[in-house]
Amino acid sequence: MRLPERQLAVLEAASATDERTIDEIAAETGLKPETVTGAAFDLRDEGLLAVTETTTAVAELTDEGRAYVADGLPETRLYDAAVDAGADDAAVPLGEVIGRAALSGPAVDIALANFPRKGFGEIDAGELAADAAADPAADPEATALATLADGEAVADESVLDRLASRGLVDLAERTTRAVRLTDAGVDALMEGVEAAETVGRLTPDLLASGDWRDVEFSDYNVEADAPAVGGGRKHVLRRTADRVKDVLVGMGFSEMQGPHADSDFWINDCLFMPQDHPARTHWDRFALDVPPMESIPPELIDRVETAHRDGWGEDGDGYHSPWSEAFAREVALRGHTTSLSMRYLSGHAGAELEPPQRYFSVEKVYRNDTLDPTHLLEFFQIEGWVMAEELSVRDLMGTFEEFYRQFGITDIRFKPHYNPYTEPSFELFGDHPETGEEIEIGNSGIFREEVTGPLGVECDVMAWGLALERLAMLTTGAEDIRDLHGTLADIDFLRTAEVSY
Amino acid sequence: MPVVDVDPDELRQLTGHTDTTDEEFKTDLFGLGLEFDGETDDGELQFEFAPDRLDRLSVEGVARSLRYHAGDDRGVYLPETNDPEWTIEVAESVPDERPYVTGAVVRGVDLDEAALESLIQLQEKLHATMGRGRAKGAIGIHDLAMVKGAPLREGAQRSITYRGIDPDGDTFVPLDANAELTPAAVLEDHATGRTYADLVSEYDRYPAIYDELGLFSFPPVINGKRTEVGTGSRELLVELTGTDQWTIDKMCTIICYALSARGATIETVEVAYADGATAPDTYGADLVRPAFDVDTKSVTHDRIETLLGVDLEPETVVDCFERSGLDATYTLEETVTYEVEIPPYRVDVLHPLDLVDDVGRAYGFDRLEPRYPDVGTVGGRHERTRLEDAVRTSLVGLGFEDLLNFHMTSGTENYERMRIEPGADAFGGGDPVEITEPYSEAYTQLRTWALPSLLSLLEGNTHNAYPQDVAEIGFVAERDETANTNVAERRHVAGAVARRDASYEAAKGRLQAVCDDFGATLETPRTEHPTFIDGRAASVVVDGADAGIIGEVHPAILVDHDLEVPVAAFEFRLDALR
Repeated sequence: MRLPERQLAVLEAASATDERTIDEIAAETGLKPETVTGAAFDLRDEGLLAVTETTTAVAELTDEGRAYVADGLPETRLYDAAVDAGADDAAVPLGEVIGRAALSGPAVDIALANFPRKGFGEIDAGELAADAAADPAADPEATALATLADGEAVADESVLDRLASRGLVDLAERTTRAVRLTDAGVDALMEGVEAAETVGRLTPDLLASGDWRDVEFSDYNVEADAPAVGGGRKHVLRRTADRVKDVLVGMGFSEMQGPHADSDFWINDCLFMPQDHPARTHWDRFALDVPPMESIPPELIDRVETAHRDGWGEDGDGYHSPWSEAFAREVALRGHTTSLSMRYLSGHAGAELEPPQRYFSVEKVYRNDTLDPTHLLEFFQIEGWVMAEELSVRDLMGTFEEFYRQFGITDIRFKPHYNPYTEPSFELFGDHPETGEEIEIGNSGIFREEVTGPLGVECDVMAWGLALERLAMLTTGAEDIRDLHGTLADIDFLRTAEVSY
Repeated sequence: MPVVDVDPDELRQLTGHTDTTDEEFKTDLFGLGLEFDGETDDGELQFEFAPDRLDRLSVEGVARSLRYHAGDDRGVYLPETNDPEWTIEVAESVPDERPYVTGAVVRGVDLDEAALESLIQLQEKLHATMGRGRAKGAIGIHDLAMVKGAPLREGAQRSITYRGIDPDGDTFVPLDANAELTPAAVLEDHATGRTYADLVSEYDRYPAIYDELGLFSFPPVINGKRTEVGTGSRELLVELTGTDQWTIDKMCTIICYALSARGATIETVEVAYADGATAPDTYGADLVRPAFDVDTKSVTHDRIETLLGVDLEPETVVDCFERSGLDATYTLEETVTYEVEIPPYRVDVLHPLDLVDDVGRAYGFDRLEPRYPDVGTVGGRHERTRLEDAVRTSLVGLGFEDLLNFHMTSGTENYERMRIEPGADAFGGGDPVEITEPYSEAYTQLRTWALPSLLSLLEGNTHNAYPQDVAEIGFVAERDETANTNVAERRHVAGAVARRDASYEAAKGRLQAVCDDFGATLETPRTEHPTFIDGRAASVVVDGADAGIIGEVHPAILVDHDLEVPVAAFEFRLDALR
């Protein structure tokens, strides 16, 4: 016969003649008691071992019980004081005896209730008479407490029950298991039992053959480090973008798309950016060496040029800046995704839009900047806008508060700002969720009529923009944007960056 | 964005708010849109603001805004001007590229060090903003006592001339120099001259200002030493030249308002464009400047209420206008409409909406309670980004690390290091979209394919653990004159398996899995491509259409990228999976 090593050890430690407790066997085999118990039940199931259970009541002193072991029971202390006061001769006023016994609080009631019950004397009309024949030293309750305090057992259940009802002991049951070899167990040992082999891993063979029942699995060091597991992961910045898109779709925004290389007309002129604006100089944009863009609706060009030269509406003034159609047709990499907003608002990205509408994009933009830990030549811009019949600054504030709240940024401040394309305009400031530092988190405003008018939009449009990398750095704790984005990225960083969701 | 340096003591003195603390100024100015940006070494407060209110580029202007905001001053203020004594004659010889001039005479100035410093700051900041780095407008300020102006024509009392001169014509001693130089020599030999040389070096004739004694200013480059302004100067001549009359007139007005705030008197000058000179169309050939005229625009009460989202009494609106330095009158009819007067130093009011913004700032935008707009719309993702995301999920499931690389690259990375030629008949060999006058050799064009980016990334990560399976769904572009923008933009799916056992099979197995995910049929007929080992390269044909390339990367490319493991890779058009 083959048995797992632990079961064999328990079997060999058991006796055919005497019951041996689990604790005894554990001490002998060096196994843990719970391991011995498990093995004993397995052996019982095999018919090799008999397991008996005995339940004993165990009484333990409470704190109050222990105090009386030290000081004496209150009724005993009352009797001793009464004898001192001569109450075994003649009745003595109760107050005097209590004072002499130094009883106070609940102990007084306890003493007065138990004194007559135990026949220590009588209490009547405020006077106490002690029975000279009483012997508190032989009181079974006091004796039982002293016995328990010595760690010995008390057999008299009625005394234990009374002590339990007085709250002086806690009664509990304890199960002790003991084992004895059955005849089959003895036979097996006589015939010889071998230890079964331990196996390192569960194999398809073990499962198919059923041998898994007879083997013992070797112990692992379950606390040891495991070899690293690599898997693919979505790029950390993509995950941040996904989160932003989820939030915006949830707020009713639809996604825009459009060209990265676009005419300056859509990128800047529609936005009422004067052609001599510093952001439109060679040094700030990436002009592309391709022919100018031909297909721009001529009537739209006329309206935009009018806005730049003469202003929009009866009281409008234009810029005192040069404006040339040739410049408007030049193709460059977009410096913001507001070019998409212009295409959608104009109706040239698809259908003419009727209010209300909400649109967004999280797409790449290109700006000539100095590369440093917070600036790249290419980054993602979150762009969003709402078109409705009448929008107010309060609607703008409410929308952006809700958006940033989704990222744990509350208490947004709106600093009045100036953009060539919005009025009123606000820079958005909030507190960093970790450091509490005040940071700029976006730029917003209501599109000027010089922007919406030429596009044919006759209602209000409010818009805002923000760099996705800025939000990602806030939510991932990345300190150098170059770790995240581009061919200089560290693959280890991408593999270990904490997942945000 | 412009930054104005403000001495807090000067601000206290000019506002009359002698008890206001620096912190209180910071809070008040934040509400007006000026953000505290730090302190200078001298303890001056620096405020950054967007370039709309250029009249705030000096402590005088900031103080004026604060006084209005506090209600100390109300309505439009126009400084008194005295009649002109001086004339600026504009000669026919003035260069066509810089035809316009304006100016003012300022008397009774008391320039202590602080006031002089503020004036110089204002001048420099106006150059940087409205003046577009002096190209559109440049300011020269002179000590009038040193200018000698014999009348040059009948009726004029005293005159100076703006004219064009030969670059090597007359000489003068410029500021910060001790020798007589011609304008051409200034551009060569003088530090300031070299800085601004590009503005005029292409001109046939150089701009110059003369008085009776000769050349004393070479706009927009440098003034002459003779008329240098110091703390002892009591009377100033301000002249501005530029490419737009309105712009230089506004710059002049802002300078005059700042000097007037310190108690100086403004005296107009006549500007007389000669026959044959380019006079401004809008204003004619004979001007009197500065002209402190108010502009008027009207705005309805209803528009103010809807845009700010609050109900207002007309008296409140008028109060807000007045505390913005504007004047407003209205008639109480069915619809209330305000006639608003705008002072001449304002350069940012192009539309009635700008007046609503002024009301908002005066009322206090921070008093407005945010509310979520009651506008119902249905949101959704674009089909293109949903497809991209679905393919990305497949790739990540196959164990690829998802990458995000730059779209700008160099010809070296895009073609040469991949062993292909621009315009080659090979996948990835499209015509480049090049950046005009690139700033860096590393970014000269848009990438035509994504595989070079993956190899660059592997090159930068040889110190990290293998396997390195990387993928990107990314933007690529090539020149295509049939496209609307002359640029064809696409998304490519690229994957590379870099590990000891990387093989064609490893790449194809993964590519097959992606195609299976999208129910697409994959065929890989043998092809040749210089990036891959001969005999181990195939075209990626998805649903019968040629869409990309797959193979084992050529060892020459691996070695060039410092890679010591084989790499198998594929790349194909995302739209093939549609």
